[in-house]
Amino acid sequence: MLTHAVPDGIGLRPPRHRVERRTIALWAVRAVGGAVAAAAPPTLVHLLWPDARPWAGPLLAVVAGLGVLHALVMPGVRYAVHRWEVTDASVYAAGGWVVREWRVAPVSRIQTVDTTRGPVERLLGLSTLVVTTASSSGAVRVRGLAPAVAEEAAERLNTLTQRTPGDAT
Amino acid sequence: MSGSAPEAPWLRLDRRMVAVDALRLVLAQLPALVALVVVGVDADTVWPLLGVAAFGAVSAVADLVRWSRTRYRVTAEHVERRTGLFVVRHRSVRRDRIRSVDADARLLRRLAGLRRVTIGAGQVNTAGESALTLDALSLDAALALRRDLLDGAGPPDALATLARFRWTWVFYNMVNVWAYVMAAGLLWGAYWTATMFGADPGGWVGGLADWDALGPWRTALVVLAAVGLLGFLGMAGAYFTEHAHFRLERVPTENGTALRTTQGLLKTREITRDDARLRGVALSEPLLWRWAGVTDTSVITTGLSRWSVAATVLPRGPRGVARRVADAVLAEPVSPLAARLAPHPAAARRRRLCWAAAVAAAGALVLYWLAATTALPAATWWLGALALLLPGALLAEAGYRALGHAVSGRYLVLRSGAVSRATSALRRDAVSGVRVRQSLLQRRLGLATVSVSTAAGYGVYTAHDLAAADAAPFAADALPHLAPFLAAPGERPPARDPRGRAAVRQL
Repeated sequence: MLTHAVPDGIGLRPPRHRVERRTIALWAVRAVGGAVAAAAPPTLVHLLWPDARPWAGPLLAVVAGLGVLHALVMPGVRYAVHRWEVTDASVYAAGGWVVREWRVAPVSRIQTVDTTRGPVERLLGLSTLVVTTASSSGAVRVRGLAPAVAEEAAERLNTLTQRTPGDAT
Repeated sequence: MSGSAPEAPWLRLDRRMVAVDALRLVLAQLPALVALVVVGVDADTVWPLLGVAAFGAVSAVADLVRWSRTRYRVTAEHVERRTGLFVVRHRSVRRDRIRSVDADARLLRRLAGLRRVTIGAGQVNTAGESALTLDALSLDAALALRRDLLDGAGPPDALATLARFRWTWVFYNMVNVWAYVMAAGLLWGAYWTATMFGADPGGWVGGLADWDALGPWRTALVVLAAVGLLGFLGMAGAYFTEHAHFRLERVPTENGTALRTTQGLLKTREITRDDARLRGVALSEPLLWRWAGVTDTSVITTGLSRWSVAATVLPRGPRGVARRVADAVLAEPVSPLAARLAPHPAAARRRRLCWAAAVAAAGALVLYWLAATTALPAATWWLGALALLLPGALLAEAGYRALGHAVSGRYLVLRSGAVSRATSALRRDAVSGVRVRQSLLQRRLGLATVSVSTAAGYGVYTAHDLAAADAAPFAADALPHLAPFLAAPGERPPARDPRGRAAVRQL
């Protein structure tokens, strides 16, 4: 087992594998994109509507400041926190940054296993493993895997799932 | 009729629907006829009634067309229905997907001995949408279809009756904010009808009392009370029509048992829920009526969402009855709902108070800014803060007191909710995943939140703000698959946060 990435106060050991280091770039790109989207409306108001500048200016400053802070801090924290592991019985993933999250999905309850690649992920050579169960609570997503690793994990999970009887509900 | 020999034939809906539609056609014309011929109302003011008549005629004819174009059949694997005049819609539902077969009837259909059959085949999240409606079949055909689809064998006699209608429950269902909405609707309808027939309801109400002598405040009180009374009576009436003859029974089915509710005065509604899909029960108690013990009871099943009416197995009623019924539904040797729920650490209260304070501070900040830039008086910011802080703190306290969790035999029991306290007992083998969450604030306070996901009911059930040290063991109780990921004993957080304990002592 690797050394403890971040000591957690939860009584769970961290999952075995880290995500790829270049995922930091992925998170940074996403954070910058989000910041630009959030800053666009106040910027437009500021430029097009001079009467609104007394409040649009401070708002823009706050939004931009938070956006920059987010883009600087979040990727590094996430890289330290995000980890994953697939065993014969379950998928185990840890993630988050301000709100940390540990998720376990038993193989016997898995309904679908997918790997997805967005445009930025494709540029960076990354892949996301998506595991869904019968619950409506959302899939377990592991971002930032090397495509070969994600494929292999998905294949393994698919084989394991087929071997497990039952309708997974 | 379709081709090969073993195929089931396509069937028509019952012929008596033609008579029902014809009668509807005639009945729809009656109000306008009465108004014009008997009362002699001016033709200028009667147009809304003519509209009603025209609408009734069109819908009756449309229903007749629908009847003539609809065919259905039940094969070994599917229930199929074809309908539609210009666009023929063909819908088929696989028989093993069928969750419920409802038979209900409004007055005319009931008089004609007809039942509308609704075949439900929901999946998680799409539930509540009924898959297929046959409007209408004869009572015999409806019963036979239900037997065929759900039970297989003859009409099931109840194995046990878990609850019966009690008229005292009406008190739990009539006093309600919706009473005012209902009263408004009733009054508007009455006013509209009265003016149409030339009466003067305004003058009549004006003559009831010397309103000027009462003054505006007392007038408002009297009106509020009168309207409320009307609304409560309306709610009571609605409750009786919907829930009269209520019965909750456990009935045998082809491959096990099912919970069946039967209810309704004019329109009998029957819902059957397969016990094989039962994963737990949930009781919810609204905050404002906690003193009266008002409780809603529903089942957690796969294939039905919590929001679907079918999940409700008992009308709103007293807590004691709800508990007894819930226990009978679960039929466990030791009732999970009787389990002593572990309270959550005092830090959970502090977290809620922090949030209440944060919301009040944000509100105060906005008001302060508005007061500084606009004509708003300067005192509003602290008045606003107080107005937010007090209810916020009370809700925080209520939310904290609602928290509790337990593991009882095969079940997890989770309780939470400030405005509506929900106690859910969920079968542990129904848990299909676990999520432990910890925000920065929770981490500082030594708390963590555990959510279990399941294919039934809400899909997620959450134990909010456990002590951080209890989170992982509780999660492992909920889902044994988590056990291999527990930290070695030396690496776990201390059994109890010393600061938390000191705080407990102070309180």
